[in-house]
Amino acid sequence: MGRTVGIDLGTTYSLVAYMDPQTGKPVSIQGPYGSALCPSVVSVDRDGKILVGNPARARLLTNPDRTIYSVKRLMGRGVADIQDELTRFPFRIDETSGNVIRVRLGDKLFTPPEISAYILRELKSWAELHFNEPVDRAVITVPAYFNDAQRQATKDAGRLAGLEVLRLVNEPTAAALAYGLHKQKRGHVGVYDFGGGTFDISILKLISTTEGDIYQVLSTNGDTHLGGDDIDNVMMDLARQAIQSSLGVTLDPHGDQIQNLRKDLIRAKHELSSSEKTSVQFVAIEKTAILEFTRADFDELIDPIVARTMAPVKLALIDAKLGAKEMDEVVLVGGSTRIPLVRKTVGDYFERAPHCELNPDEVVALGAAVQADILQSGVKTMLLLDVTPLSLGIETMGGVVAKIIPRNSTIPASAQEMFTTGVENQTGIDVHVLQGERELAKDCRSLARFQLKVPPGPAGLARIELRFLIDANGILQVAAKDLRSGGEHSIEVQPSYGLSDTEVEHMLEESIEFAEQDFAERQLIEARTEAEAILTATEKAFRDPRSSEISAAERRSIENSVAALRSSMAGTDYKLVRQRIDDLNQATTNLAEILMNSALQTALEGKRLDDV
Amino acid sequence: MSVTKTQSKPATGTNCWSCQAPVAGAHFCTSCGKIQPLPPGTDYFGFFGWPQKLTIDPALLEEQFHKLSWKLHPDNFVRASEEERNLSLDRSSQLNDAYRTLRDPIARIEYLLLRLGLRKEGTTKQQAPPELLEEVFELNESLDELREARAEDGDVEALRGRLIEAQNNFKEKLSEVDAELAGVAREWDAALDASASDASRNALLTRMNEILNRRSYIRNLVASVQKEMEL
Repeated sequence: MGRTVGIDLGTTYSLVAYMDPQTGKPVSIQGPYGSALCPSVVSVDRDGKILVGNPARARLLTNPDRTIYSVKRLMGRGVADIQDELTRFPFRIDETSGNVIRVRLGDKLFTPPEISAYILRELKSWAELHFNEPVDRAVITVPAYFNDAQRQATKDAGRLAGLEVLRLVNEPTAAALAYGLHKQKRGHVGVYDFGGGTFDISILKLISTTEGDIYQVLSTNGDTHLGGDDIDNVMMDLARQAIQSSLGVTLDPHGDQIQNLRKDLIRAKHELSSSEKTSVQFVAIEKTAILEFTRADFDELIDPIVARTMAPVKLALIDAKLGAKEMDEVVLVGGSTRIPLVRKTVGDYFERAPHCELNPDEVVALGAAVQADILQSGVKTMLLLDVTPLSLGIETMGGVVAKIIPRNSTIPASAQEMFTTGVENQTGIDVHVLQGERELAKDCRSLARFQLKVPPGPAGLARIELRFLIDANGILQVAAKDLRSGGEHSIEVQPSYGLSDTEVEHMLEESIEFAEQDFAERQLIEARTEAEAILTATEKAFRDPRSSEISAAERRSIENSVAALRSSMAGTDYKLVRQRIDDLNQATTNLAEILMNSALQTALEGKRLDDV
Repeated sequence: MSVTKTQSKPATGTNCWSCQAPVAGAHFCTSCGKIQPLPPGTDYFGFFGWPQKLTIDPALLEEQFHKLSWKLHPDNFVRASEEERNLSLDRSSQLNDAYRTLRDPIARIEYLLLRLGLRKEGTTKQQAPPELLEEVFELNESLDELREARAEDGDVEALRGRLIEAQNNFKEKLSEVDAELAGVAREWDAALDASASDASRNALLTRMNEILNRRSYIRNLVASVQKEMEL
């Protein structure tokens, strides 16, 4: 059993964190570039090698057709859902996409969970490097407003990455966990989470009981496609128009020039958080356009987007039966909350200065690490009581939805419904399960359709009870019982979106071809490399004339260690190789000292005493 | 989402599924500490160990909810056996459902009536209170006039004023009905304490059912006016 980590799988950046047992505080893990932030970008090389993070992001500018960003926007959605996104993002969607999207990178096709799995694998390897131990379990965060299909897709991604997903935790709740730990505060907390692609608002109650602290979510609301990306896109629209009118240049939405422009605009956006104005230069062949932005221009541009975030805030407060002024604290999460207009809008609405002391980029991952530690160590001083964000319903006569589990019900939550035949000799009962708040099925999110098969008989004779259970991950489980026989009844399920279990299994098998080597293999390679180095050094030492100063017994001992090391290198036990490296190091300590001293002597002999 | 097997509930009766010690309906076995399934027929009141009384102290309910959440939540069972994990999922969902229902005074009464057979699942009846029929008639007239006026761009303000007045009138009636319901609920509790006869208890249940139907009707009126006003 390996280590457990907390992972924030974000739209723009992803992070991995763990609980430091010494300090009792969560800590984020840095990657090879010295940052804890891994850009959620994946690129495929011409030879099929997968790049993730910073190197992939560089590829956006050179090979945009082989690179993808913001894949979180595609998770758990079908081709029909993302038509709007396609006008704003250069996703290359293959025509074989249906209820599962297939993205083209280079000449290969990938599903969104597979792409997310590459990001998760990258973070997994960062953690493994950090601990020098395998990592095989994780708590992964999702937007609170993610529906069942989006959550299932995230779980699938975890599985494909070789991680056992202990729990999916809602992002605002994770942030509250990190914040509560940090501030030791109690009361009503509003978490406003404005990230790269999604927006969530959660209203929580923090309570101290004799057993420990409870984080109880009262209500949650949001928009799963509203985020910093949308701000980037309005800036892009403006820039493209300006370039078109002043230079007569039309930019190819799938090209690399536009990616360069996007990169510059994002930089400008960041600058406007601290400066009053900034500019972006666009260079076409022989022509240059300079786009200037003032803070005021920017605020006007993004005002409609920021305004859109306030509607879910109002709804969440209504559901929590609380007023804005009754919040004891308001917490800001997500990179987009660095924007001054956002801070002002939120502060004005709640009539208090919102908190952002914790790094808004890291706080979700830190909270995930806290929850991971609770689950894995069994130490219970904190309890998270989260809710399902969307009502669960069944389609009834006339296309109307009957709600069976209301939104903002604490999870796990369940409901039972009884089904029977309406017509004589009817052999199948159809059940359509949906999520959403609208009255009509066509306006809600279809989760799945079931068919309950029954033997022919009089109408109303069959009695099948379906038990719907939303688990602690916010994912639906269904079980069917035949009330007449008391036994289990089989259901044929057709999920509306997402991969079936067999498809995931198949991908797991296939992924071994593309997979990075697993931990043990990598360790073996590294150990062998080190072994080669020490063996070469030992041979060199033996060639040195001064090595004759060691005894024959010592020489034999070294030769034995060398032989033992070589034999271990031919095997697959990396721990043994390392052990033999240590043995050889020990056996050659004396020899090394002799050579060192004589080398020093030789070096000193070349200098006069008073120079030393 | 996924399809699971129906929980094969361990042999019911009063013995622990793990160590066979007697359990008598407790959440956990006192001998081996393993989580137990809910005895069949337990209702939400029984879940908290309470009789079917309608007066519940909200602070006490919340306290019990938190206490039981600590013990039953799936977070505690991540490394336990599959049997225990499934039981925890079952039990904590029942706890949450029970808390959600008992927390709201109206839902509490509706649930009781459901359990005792006076209401059928999924059917909400509405009954126009006879003494209000005239006012209801006037209200419906006003609503129609408002819709017409809006469609023809007529004078909406005066009509809105009348509607707001009517709505306030009905809101008052709603408070009266709620007070009446609360009164009968207290009578019910007293009847339980006094071990009153089946007949007198049924009479109380029937009265509560009837008040609920009236309440539904008035609430819908208030809501439809609200909807109209927001247009």
